[in-house]
Amino acid sequence: MPETILVIGGGPAGLEAARSIATIGGRAILVERRPVLGGTPDESNYAALTPRMGSAQDALDILRAGVVDPDIDVRVNTTVTGCSGTVGDFAVTLISPTGETTESVGSIIVATGFQHFDPGRETQMYGYYEHADVITLPDAEKMLKEHHFVRPSNGEAPRNVAFIQCVGSRDRRLGNEYCSKVCCGVASKEAIEIRRLLPDCKVYIFYIDMRMYGYWENEIYWPAQEQYNVTYIRGIVTEIVAKDGRLLMKGEDTTMGRPLEVLMDVIVLSVGMEPSRGTRDVAGILGIAQNKYGFIALPGEPMDVVSTSVPGIFVAGAAAGPKDLEDTIGMAGAAAVRAVGAVRGGARAGAAAAR
Amino acid sequence: MVLQARYADVPIEEKQRLFDEVKADARFESYLYGCYECGICVAACPSARFYDFSPRKIAQAASREDLPMFYEQLNDDIWNCSQCFSCTRCPRGNNPGGLITIMREVSINNGLTSAKTALEGYGRVVYKIMSTGTQVSPDMLQPNAFPDWGPHVQEISDNLALWRRALPPDTMHTTSTAWYVDDRTLTELYLIWHMTGVLDMIKQVDTGLHMILNDVMEELLEEAGFTPE
Repeated sequence: MPETILVIGGGPAGLEAARSIATIGGRAILVERRPVLGGTPDESNYAALTPRMGSAQDALDILRAGVVDPDIDVRVNTTVTGCSGTVGDFAVTLISPTGETTESVGSIIVATGFQHFDPGRETQMYGYYEHADVITLPDAEKMLKEHHFVRPSNGEAPRNVAFIQCVGSRDRRLGNEYCSKVCCGVASKEAIEIRRLLPDCKVYIFYIDMRMYGYWENEIYWPAQEQYNVTYIRGIVTEIVAKDGRLLMKGEDTTMGRPLEVLMDVIVLSVGMEPSRGTRDVAGILGIAQNKYGFIALPGEPMDVVSTSVPGIFVAGAAAGPKDLEDTIGMAGAAAVRAVGAVRGGARAGAAAAR
Repeated sequence: MVLQARYADVPIEEKQRLFDEVKADARFESYLYGCYECGICVAACPSARFYDFSPRKIAQAASREDLPMFYEQLNDDIWNCSQCFSCTRCPRGNNPGGLITIMREVSINNGLTSAKTALEGYGRVVYKIMSTGTQVSPDMLQPNAFPDWGPHVQEISDNLALWRRALPPDTMHTTSTAWYVDDRTLTELYLIWHMTGVLDMIKQVDTGLHMILNDVMEELLEEAGFTPE
């Protein structure tokens, strides 16, 4: 029986899962589609992590260092194209620029992550592809990484910046009915960074509900309001129109009970999470069930957050739905233990997988 | 920032000046943290049940530094508060009633017409408290004493002496004041009115009352060796 575990995806979930497998004496093959490890936080230029503002690259470097291990076979520029067999004895086909190989693995961890909602994909009234100064959270993140926040249209410092929450989330019309969980915190974190960079700039966050779980409340939300004077307005903007070289946004200030029209210089759309292309593809290749949104289904929730519909195949991170990094890292460890158990364990692991 | 702001004719600089005066108050920082609009202050507020008044909006406008809304509140809302401070049950530690205290002081110190109008009906009670050191006295129970004493005050005041005699406890020992206040206490009170700036505030909203109070207080203050500037 092969002792090796295949980890698909080299983002935070995959890196931590591979490291955890090695820590408890297992062997892993870690495959990553891109030429570098780091996943979406790397690809989308994350600057500082919510909530504690630590550097994303420093955090990723620690995760990357964790997979430098003789028991971890890291393969970048590699994708999975085929899979057969059952728990304890899977044969997976991997393709890389150097050719196609077939590997024998005992279990599999899917860590293929999410992608940011594309605000131009559906009929949206925010004009993302129309107005240069309408941007997304990752667009803002890219500027903040350079410590330079400007109006993309003219390179000038903005006087008024607004975030619009729940873009692509909590929307029956779009099919994304779920909350993407991290955008409230990320928007608040970016708002703080903008206020630090540009003390004269007013920053507004237009929201439906602020969802700042656990310590995010006191570590991000309250400081944003109390120390950085970020203005939170309950009410979602209906449309954005260009006016006098700026952006006029129309909405309702629901807690004040008034309609609202404000001129903004930059509007940041707090785009939510959708299953990544990799998550959709891998689900099909491995034959694991997806939920109605395309994320990997978790039949054993809430007490089993890593087992997929197929015994021996586990999932970690945002491939299974909107996740913050804390969830992701926790899931990765749990998936590693279950995956190692599946290759070693015989009856007990089999019973656990069947549950 | 809002569409339907009143007082659009008042320059934004003036609104900013008054807001800055409120914000500069030493109490401001401990009265306002941030607001997540839970509404507990409104739920607890007796005034909110009877008036179009919201302590939440007071905290929100100040926290957002929404100058047009702040200025509206400074003129139209702050006098609807009964200063009971039920709103201090705020889970964020805000004190909307305290913000209103500061706003009222700023409003009076700047002689805003709205402050004068709001305090117009209270000249008698202010005079009573400041000159005698006591609250409403039995003799003040007159139909013209307070504009908001309701329709029954007429029939009560018609037979006031009779009502009073009908009460078992002795209610006739003093009728011009609520209780006896000695001269030393009065002198100390008068000094407080002067030295804390209360008299200057009265001057801003009611010059007549200010003059009368000075006359009344003159003798005791002279004996105490205090000369008002």
